[in-house]
Amino acid sequence: MRSSLIEIRNLCIQTANESRELVKNISFSIYPGEAVGVVGESGSGKTLTALSILGLLPRGVLAQSGEVTYGGKNLLNASEESRRSIRGREISMIYQDPMTALNPVMKLGKQLLEVFEAHELPKENAQERALNALIEVGIPEPERAMQSYPHEFSGGMRQRVMIAMALVLSPKLLIADEPTTALDVTIQRQILALISEQRKKTHMSILWITHDLGVVANLVDRVIVMYAGQIVEEGSVNEIFTNPQHRYTAGLLKSLPKATIKNRERLSAIPGVPPKPWLVENSCAFSSRCSYVTEECLTKTPALIRNKFTSAACFHPVGGNS
Amino acid sequence: MLQILNVEKKYNIKASKSVINALNGVSLNIEIGKTLGIVGESGCGKSTLARIIVGLEKPTSGEIIWKDEAVRNKVNAQFKNHHSSIQLVFQDPYSSLNPRQKIGNCIEEVITTHKLRNGSGVQERVDELLLEVGISSDLQHRYPHQLSGGQRQRVSIARALASEPDLLVLDEPVSALDVSVRADVMNLLFDLREKFNLTYIFISHDLSMVRHISDAIAVMYLGKVVEYGLWSEVLDNPQHPYTRALIDSIPSHEHIGMNQSDNQLLGEVPDPANMPSGCAFHLRCPIVKIQCKINSPELIRVQGNHLVACPEVGK
Repeated sequence: MRSSLIEIRNLCIQTANESRELVKNISFSIYPGEAVGVVGESGSGKTLTALSILGLLPRGVLAQSGEVTYGGKNLLNASEESRRSIRGREISMIYQDPMTALNPVMKLGKQLLEVFEAHELPKENAQERALNALIEVGIPEPERAMQSYPHEFSGGMRQRVMIAMALVLSPKLLIADEPTTALDVTIQRQILALISEQRKKTHMSILWITHDLGVVANLVDRVIVMYAGQIVEEGSVNEIFTNPQHRYTAGLLKSLPKATIKNRERLSAIPGVPPKPWLVENSCAFSSRCSYVTEECLTKTPALIRNKFTSAACFHPVGGNS
Repeated sequence: MLQILNVEKKYNIKASKSVINALNGVSLNIEIGKTLGIVGESGCGKSTLARIIVGLEKPTSGEIIWKDEAVRNKVNAQFKNHHSSIQLVFQDPYSSLNPRQKIGNCIEEVITTHKLRNGSGVQERVDELLLEVGISSDLQHRYPHQLSGGQRQRVSIARALASEPDLLVLDEPVSALDVSVRADVMNLLFDLREKFNLTYIFISHDLSMVRHISDAIAVMYLGKVVEYGLWSEVLDNPQHPYTRALIDSIPSHEHIGMNQSDNQLLGEVPDPANMPSGCAFHLRCPIVKIQCKINSPELIRVQGNHLVACPEVGK
């Protein structure tokens, strides 16, 4: 059995004030060199899960219980200092909107060099490593780029700069929170190719958070599907897309227009909207929208159980109960 | 039928003394009851075109003709009439609905402005419209923030329908919605089109949705139509190198693993304030020839109604 790079166990995240549960008791691991995709809609808890790993949860939201084990340490109760030494160096993160993640009034070169300063690394070759990082991600005229401000770049180029900054210290894990959602598709394609290429070179692990099933199918090895703060299904990318077992995953895949579909044909839609995670108690979170719902689904919370294809938290999985 | 005749739109930027060429001569037709899909990346002019079609902006040159009558901008006296027959639905219902107005009132306002009903007829019509888009009429006293994204988009569709239009311009109507809600709103658009014989202009960057709803598709790049045809012609037999690359760039849930084809486009869309010479696509084109840097290609018929603006196609 391989040992995991990072392990998340029984993680619960809630609001500080009203103790509203936002992420409910989730567990998963990421192995060295593996790319894991977390798919979910807005409010499913996918971004909060990622932020909690780095200790970056927004004000008013806390990781109430659980463990995030990395390098033998539980990051959830680690000191801010030890977390800071991990951020950017061992685990780094890229965000959806690089304009808000980059400092608008600081030259890019200075921002890149700050990474070295923050980790008290020798300054001698920092300049050279920063330049190399920009070349690596395909920034034309990297010397000039070092002297430029973020607004002088296009969205795609800013995202490249952010990737350069995240990868400059060769982290073991890259967390990506919808980094291509705001980009045009031809630019998204370039960024996805760039990430794949860097992954091959450095063997880093990736945690890719998105709502876009197409991106996940293209990029990752394993998929985690979140719904209303819970993991409802987990499996290899092949099984999730060819043999989804949870009724939500199956319904979602069925609702997407297919390339083979006839024009003007109605789509197979899921009725309703996702519930607020804190309002779901002692029932399956998907029960209010599921057409296979039974009494059991309304009175008990299904556990994530391994089946022939995936692991699914569903009383009536697509392939039946084995 | 709707005719878009050689529409150009230039914005003069005083501060930098530059001119942004948002639309560079766009001509398209769409028959009543049909749906025209417009696809392209940001900066291709698709939203500017939408605003010109509904009369929110005035084209620098060219004309929009709807049912044999020219659509003009707001100054025209007939604007109110025109406004009621062409409506726009925006991408983000949260910013297009008044946050301090109850949703019932916001629909009512349209009915009274256009004097379409009076007395108790107004309220009846509000109920009817909400029912039409699948919103329970007891939600009409709610404010937009009390609804889900999908419900809000349904309300903005009801609001657009309130003036009894026959042409709806839908600018990315499902892009801001959660994935599991999109299909439901798309089905609503299908049903309404059928029921009221509506004509749609469906603008999106999501080719799978466009494929699904459109009869004809126009692909735009830097303010020009580069390919036009029946949906099947454009999407299943794309001819322009940009259309091919665009289709190929979209990660599909039906394909597992990184797309290995060579159709990856390098570079980015050029600045519309600083247009390249010749074909606007030549800087990124995989099959660029010397004359592409000089001549700006016109749309040429390749087959039936399938038009492509590339001289290299069909050679």
